[in-house]
Amino acid sequence: MTWSHVSRYLIRAEWAPLAGITLFSIVALSLIAPAFLTEYNLFVMLRILSVTSVFALAQMVVIAVGQMNLAVGAIGGLVAILFGGMMEVYGVPVPLAMLIGAAVGILTGWLNGAIIAYSGINGFVVTLAMLSVYTGLNYGITESIPFYNMPQVLLDTYDGKIGPVPNILVIPLVAAALVGLFLFRTRAGRYILATGGNPSAAALSGISIRRSVILAHTVSGALAGFAGMVAVARLGTAEPTIGVDWLLPSFAAPVIGGAILSGGRVSVIGTMVAVVLIVLLENGLLLARTDPYYVQFFLGVLILAAVMFNRWRAVSAEKVTAARENAS
Amino acid sequence: MTASALLVEKATKIFPGVKALANVDLELKSGEIHALLGENGAGKSTLIKIVTGVYRPDEGSVSVMGSSVDFSSPRDAFAAGIGVVHQERNLIPRYSVAENIMIEQLPTKWRLIDRGEMNRQAKHWLGALDLNIDPDVPVNRLSVAQMQLVEIARALSQQSRILLLDEPTASITENEIKVLFDLLRRLKGDGVAILFVSHKLEEVFELCDRVTILRDGRNACAGVPIEDLDKQRVVAHMVGREDALGDIGERHASIGKVMFELKGVSTAAGHQDIDLKVHKGEVVGLYGLVGAGRSELAKAVIGAERVTGGEVFVSGERATVRNVQDALRRWRIGYVSEDRKQEGLILLHSVAKNTAITVWHRLGKFLNLFSDRQERDAIISFVQKLDVRTPSLEQDVANLSGGNQQKVSVAKWLAAEAEILIVDEPTVGIDIRTKGYLHRLVWDLAEQGAAIVLITSDLAEMVLLADRVVVMRDFRIIGNLQNTYNYEQMSRRIMGCIHEADVVVGRADGAPALKGA
Ligand SMILES: Nc1ncnc2c1ncn2[C@@H]1O[C@H](COP(=O)(O)OP(=O)(O)OP(=O)(O)O)[C@@H](O)[C@H]1O
Ligand SMILES: [Mg+2]
Repeated sequence: MTWSHVSRYLIRAEWAPLAGITLFSIVALSLIAPAFLTEYNLFVMLRILSVTSVFALAQMVVIAVGQMNLAVGAIGGLVAILFGGMMEVYGVPVPLAMLIGAAVGILTGWLNGAIIAYSGINGFVVTLAMLSVYTGLNYGITESIPFYNMPQVLLDTYDGKIGPVPNILVIPLVAAALVGLFLFRTRAGRYILATGGNPSAAALSGISIRRSVILAHTVSGALAGFAGMVAVARLGTAEPTIGVDWLLPSFAAPVIGGAILSGGRVSVIGTMVAVVLIVLLENGLLLARTDPYYVQFFLGVLILAAVMFNRWRAVSAEKVTAARENAS
Repeated sequence: MTASALLVEKATKIFPGVKALANVDLELKSGEIHALLGENGAGKSTLIKIVTGVYRPDEGSVSVMGSSVDFSSPRDAFAAGIGVVHQERNLIPRYSVAENIMIEQLPTKWRLIDRGEMNRQAKHWLGALDLNIDPDVPVNRLSVAQMQLVEIARALSQQSRILLLDEPTASITENEIKVLFDLLRRLKGDGVAILFVSHKLEEVFELCDRVTILRDGRNACAGVPIEDLDKQRVVAHMVGREDALGDIGERHASIGKVMFELKGVSTAAGHQDIDLKVHKGEVVGLYGLVGAGRSELAKAVIGAERVTGGEVFVSGERATVRNVQDALRRWRIGYVSEDRKQEGLILLHSVAKNTAITVWHRLGKFLNLFSDRQERDAIISFVQKLDVRTPSLEQDVANLSGGNQQKVSVAKWLAAEAEILIVDEPTVGIDIRTKGYLHRLVWDLAEQGAAIVLITSDLAEMVLLADRVVVMRDFRIIGNLQNTYNYEQMSRRIMGCIHEADVVVGRADGAPALKGA
């Protein structure tokens, strides 16, 4: 594989324009705002990214099967406070607490999936109800009071490095790689995509729709729970409010990244680039001293703009090729 | 000489990687039935879509009744008096038959939809096609054939002067085709200009006045009177060389033990007392008129519909097929669906992924991981065998022509390597040459030891391929005939069977249907 192969692949990739825009934003921001390229600011952004990327992947997996998971934030919040509570109140060691946290994420996701698959009720409705159930549990347990004393090893590990690479970068990279392998390179992942693409065709090809739906939600729950634990490490406290503001970006990233909401098509790289773009947007607005209350507004505008751009590109791609082939 | 009703000049349309049309001409006169022919992917549907405002031509012009037009949406074409039945079904699933037929011109009273009038008008157009269904039924309860007829009724209801029919006969049976043809001849008498696309040449010679043939997006000929052509010449135009139609060859049947058996099976779909035996190496045809319950039986066999009574045996072993997965992996039963768009394909996935879907469970060793290369290797020979025309294996199936989509939906089941294969209308929309390959392939599979159940509404195909023909009607089996390979004789016996059953079914005591010899 030569360099020209690689570059052609990069140019043709669906997420290429998105990556271009992201790069452009980075350059523009570093020219306009001197504070942008400081090590401190980059670390602030990476810390946010380490959480956002994981819950965006959690949503993406469910979008792949053709459904929505409105409970990603609720699962993240519940796992976060259980994780923090275990360590503070019972002194559970970090690795064990993480295992239990992961188990809770898996369990809640599985429960979502199982209810949807066995009841036949729409995933939107079920996860909306479960959003309330998990949030209610969260507030019931904590009475809205955070756990403040997180073990130092957790915080140190989070801010540590593997070789030269900071862990806050390792987390999103590894998560994305694993999800990519799972969705595109394993049977189970392919079954999920096929189910999202056309459930009746998938079923008549010998794929169990029920199993695909449950698995997608289970993986989503595991990722959401993991995002919750990363958020605890990032904040240094287990806040009951972790996850309340995840919903919008969790959809925004996959959709900007090229996912089709009716299912069957998602892009891991696209989603990750979109997460970077979203984090950049928030950071840029912050540096520009925009009222933080307006961040939502701009995020909404970004989603619309990106989705329209994708649409425009799909339509004009036809014309461009047409022109090129006419010329030849 | 009348002015042409529709004139297309030098139309060009390019899709990424494919030049679908290059400088194509087409002229349609009032009061003629004009055939548009070509192999799968030749550009027939693209031409129709250009004329009806679905696509805009990159170059070239379209004029209707002598004045040049530039449609930017299908509505414009409708307003200009062009009625169309597209190759793919375009019905709104939960809407009733009447709503679907009248959707462009809903009758209103006090600005509210007048349901009574709507149903009355819809019934009129259904009647014109001899179709006896309740206009209030939602269309997703209809069979594929009935849906096709509903779309034809919709096009008729628009009473347009130009009527474009893209493979209208692909999934309906002889009786319905006859009714349709009578109707088209009447319309022609009234001066309607009709464009007719079909892969069945017999129909074309029976019905059409002039012929335009496309090959690889170009005119192989334009507006040639049918008298100047014969079957060989048409095929030569389509394929681009003489003697293109290979012979299907000999059938070397070696029929073994019973591989698959139904004993007194009844299903939730409504089948009663179904007895059916299929031997190793045998091709059993399942024939019946629209609504006889053939596809539903197939679905019950593979576990997609509930079996409520009776016994199923596979290779002599009592089998309970719990679901489709079980059917494929444990009992090695496969089913090629008749409805490729809804049940066969994942349109937004690639050719490779669609074909490989039935083999993924065999790919991958470590952690079930597999690569694109492994996937490709597992399926490429099947894609080639069926001559799927696609720029690459990575092309989305949605972008293939209708016939090529059909080939993919068959290829995926060839790849599955099932021992018992039920093929439901496998050659719908497939061009003659590939149909020949596919016919040979069905025999090859049988000769390699598979048991095959062939469901087809094309009686000629049935008589050509089947060793035995089982006739169904109203969810029962009413006949079991050894094939004599004589079309006239077989068609008479099969129709006789169905007719006889009429009498039997009509009797009050509900005596079991006669079993033919
Ligand atoms: N939307 C699309 N995007 C890309 N390629 C397309 C698209 N639609 C059609 N094509 C390509 O254009 C060519 C002509 O397709 P078309 O559907 O007109 O063929 P056809 O003559 O109707 O064939 P069939 O007999 O199989 O229906 C094919 O090669 C097809 O793959
Ligand atoms: Mg076509």
